[in-house]
Amino acid sequence: MKWRLILPLALLLALGLTLGLTMTASAHGAKIEYTINMAVEIRATYDTGEPMDGGQVMVYAPDNPSTPWLEGVCDEEGRFVFTPDPSKPGTWDVQVRQAGHGDMVHIPIGEDMAVSGGTGYTSLQIVLMGVCVVWGFVGTALFFSRRRA
Amino acid sequence: MHIPDGILPAAVSAAGYATAGAATWHSLRQINQKEDPRESIPKASLLTAAFFAASWIHIPVPPTSVHLVLNGLLGAVLGYYAFPAILIGLFFQAVMFQHGGLTSLGVNATMMGVPALLAHFIFRLRNVVGKESRMWTGVFGFLAGAGGLGIAALISLILLVTTIPAHLDVEAERASIYALTLAHAPLMALEGAFTALVVLFLQRVRPELLED
Repeated sequence: MKWRLILPLALLLALGLTLGLTMTASAHGAKIEYTINMAVEIRATYDTGEPMDGGQVMVYAPDNPSTPWLEGVCDEEGRFVFTPDPSKPGTWDVQVRQAGHGDMVHIPIGEDMAVSGGTGYTSLQIVLMGVCVVWGFVGTALFFSRRRA
Repeated sequence: MHIPDGILPAAVSAAGYATAGAATWHSLRQINQKEDPRESIPKASLLTAAFFAASWIHIPVPPTSVHLVLNGLLGAVLGYYAFPAILIGLFFQAVMFQHGGLTSLGVNATMMGVPALLAHFIFRLRNVVGKESRMWTGVFGFLAGAGGLGIAALISLILLVTTIPAHLDVEAERASIYALTLAHAPLMALEGAFTALVVLFLQRVRPELLED
């Protein structure tokens, strides 16, 4: 009879102590959670290398290519940073425009991500293509002038 | 000067193709009525190469920079060949250098090609005052070169200012369009002088090349 009473009492006490201790400990604890947010930095320049200072930026989310998801302005270096919404994977389009000049870059967000990318060609590619095209025109000129020779 | 893809509304791009198509058809018809339409092709081809490469020659006009266009020169020297020449040059610039774009090709061809044809008529005014005169050849060469570029810059200004999308900062965009157009004023003088030099040179060495 005696034991029957003591056992539940001891159990209650033990439970109470444990709860009490836990509550004390949680008041001193700290908690850190993390999520990785990916920021995209773009840099817009003219083909002279001059930055598009003050160029207006429009960011289009993959689910709505007609209305800008975010708008902003490039800094003096032509840079603009934004954090795309990770719940919208797909191709994000970023357009930079100034005085009727500008370009649009397509940034894949989600599975096929690339660390960096851009539009345009390297100087060597441009020079090579330019030379080829000019030679095409010169060749045409030579072809049509040969009859007189 | 070259309007890229994605700047103009679709209706304007379509209208640009319509006007460029009409101008090409008219130019080719005029060329076909010549005694030997192939005779001027070498000249047209070389000037197309010059037009194609000219957009890489940048001239700093603070706070911006502009590039050579040479549409006035093409008009003065090539006559009706200028329009197809500019169309082909713009196509290669769009495909190779992303100067301009394929959807805006019609608009750009109209914007630079129609003033080139006007430059041709300006230059032909020298026949009225005497085409043997070196002074008048130089003067009308200058007017053709400067006028061709000036009219093109004006068309570009009107097209851009009237089609700024509402979601942009309209004031800022308008101010930068005006600044860019103003920067073409010194370029007009430069292209006018360059055109005058070229036509004076051609008049001295091969005057028959200016007969178109």
